[in-house]
Amino acid sequence: MIKKLKKLDKFDLISNILITIFAVLNLFPLYWMISSSLKVSHDVTKMPPVWIPIPPAVQNYTNLFKNSNAVIWTFNSFLISIGTTAAIVLVSSMASYAFAKMNFWGKDVIFLVLISALMIPKEIYIVPLVKVMQYFHLKGTIIGIILPNVALPFGVFLLRQFFASVPDSLRESARLDGCPEWKIFTRIMLPVCKPGLSALAILTFVQTWNDYLWQLVMITKDNMKTLQLGVAGMQQENLPDYGLRIASACVAAVPMLTIFMIFQKYFTSGITMGAIKE
Amino acid sequence: MRASIDIVRSWKEQKWAYFFIAPQLILFALFLIYPVIEGVRLSLYDIKFLDKEWVGIQNYIDLFSDEVFRKATVNTLTFVFWGTALTIIIGLFVSVSIFDKSERYMTFIRGTYYLPTIISMVVLSIIWSWLLNPAMGVINHYMSVMGLERINFMGNTKYAMPVLIFMVWMVNIGQAVVLLVATMLGINTDVLEAADIDGTTRFQKIRYIILPMTKKTTIYVTIMTIISIIKVFIVIDLMTRGGPNYATTTMMYLCYQEAFKNNSLGSASAIGVLMFLIVFILSATQLKHFRSDD
Repeated sequence: MIKKLKKLDKFDLISNILITIFAVLNLFPLYWMISSSLKVSHDVTKMPPVWIPIPPAVQNYTNLFKNSNAVIWTFNSFLISIGTTAAIVLVSSMASYAFAKMNFWGKDVIFLVLISALMIPKEIYIVPLVKVMQYFHLKGTIIGIILPNVALPFGVFLLRQFFASVPDSLRESARLDGCPEWKIFTRIMLPVCKPGLSALAILTFVQTWNDYLWQLVMITKDNMKTLQLGVAGMQQENLPDYGLRIASACVAAVPMLTIFMIFQKYFTSGITMGAIKE
Repeated sequence: MRASIDIVRSWKEQKWAYFFIAPQLILFALFLIYPVIEGVRLSLYDIKFLDKEWVGIQNYIDLFSDEVFRKATVNTLTFVFWGTALTIIIGLFVSVSIFDKSERYMTFIRGTYYLPTIISMVVLSIIWSWLLNPAMGVINHYMSVMGLERINFMGNTKYAMPVLIFMVWMVNIGQAVVLLVATMLGINTDVLEAADIDGTTRFQKIRYIILPMTKKTTIYVTIMTIISIIKVFIVIDLMTRGGPNYATTTMMYLCYQEAFKNNSLGSASAIGVLMFLIVFILSATQLKHFRSDD
């Protein structure tokens, strides 16, 4: 270890010490959030702060679930995130299979059109998008919240290279055996592309869970709110009870933290897939 | 005979291909192309509840003579410029420093820098507005313990924008580091080792080998970061509400206010169209990057 450190030049060493200090500082707000949510109410805003709440109190959480719609919000968050993820994985894997493995008229032009919208976020056309949802009578519906996310071509871009890397011979021999196109897709292509599909699914799930503005403009009823809306709403009402607010923030963040810790490598591969050219 | 089988086969394959791309294309047309066109159309009307009056480009003219919009434009530029500059500079600095270290260390650093992206901007804004709170925040508490004056970070024109820039830097740095480190790991190790044998200093190695070889990714990350900062909404809404005195009102924030608070859809659509043009031009520069098949 010491030998290794000696090999580093001075500037590199100092840089890495700074970077590590900052990494630990990055963990501090998280620690603050979780520890505060476990404090009894008179300790929550006490200064100097109570750094380690012993014994940890669950009173903020029981209050939260008793006095707010947090259970419903959590359910809605899961419903919308799972629905969006399933729809995106299905729709974009179908399209990227066709783009990667099939020849059809207009392929290049259609792909170019899709890809040119790759970086455009829906927030930018959110005003007319809400209007369009009204025209289709989809405003305030779960389907209406899900579909615009599925329209974005990110998944196609991410998966296409995965499908392209599957050898053609696999598809050819299945075809010679009389396997219909749809079965080639579900039985052969999808299983082979599982790592790509998982990365897309995990990224989509987290993104949808953390989405805010779109849900804000689409949802008006309290029983349809997601966690992000509910939590932000409590903050905006300026409730004097900091413990309650921070506990609700915890409920919104902890599922994502868990997913991140378990699937970190999928995040890395999902973000870099297709974006990095060597 | 053979040729006709091929034609039949290719026709069949075409049918299947259209079947496979149909759902994506239909959704793309209905919920992306259509709203964008509708946005341009709405921006040419003066809309009050159910009344719509054609006004041509009047909404745009009004915007450019509106002081709040001009301020929002300047704020957006400041916000985007500093947010992106910090993300790229520090992102490069961190990536260069960690990419050639042990795998475990690199994964730990990359993970912790990515954490703020995972826990949503809503949660992040709530934690930080509490930490920075002038009366009840830890930061101000220790500042006053050290004999410094308490600062109302989010309510002061001098500090509100820097606080928001810090926030967007924090949510963007993770992705930048992931992409840059991945690119640096892809650099042929022979090149780096040859440079070591030639006795190049670390600084030279970074300046003449690593940075040029990550240029494409750096540009890509820059564009991506700019776009992701342009669309920021909730951090502003929860921390400063566009204030004090419009000091943190950006185009995106103004667009939302105009559409959903002031009920002037025409002018909100016009702001949306302008933002769309900016983003579209920026992303068009990356088209070649996305299309190439290597």
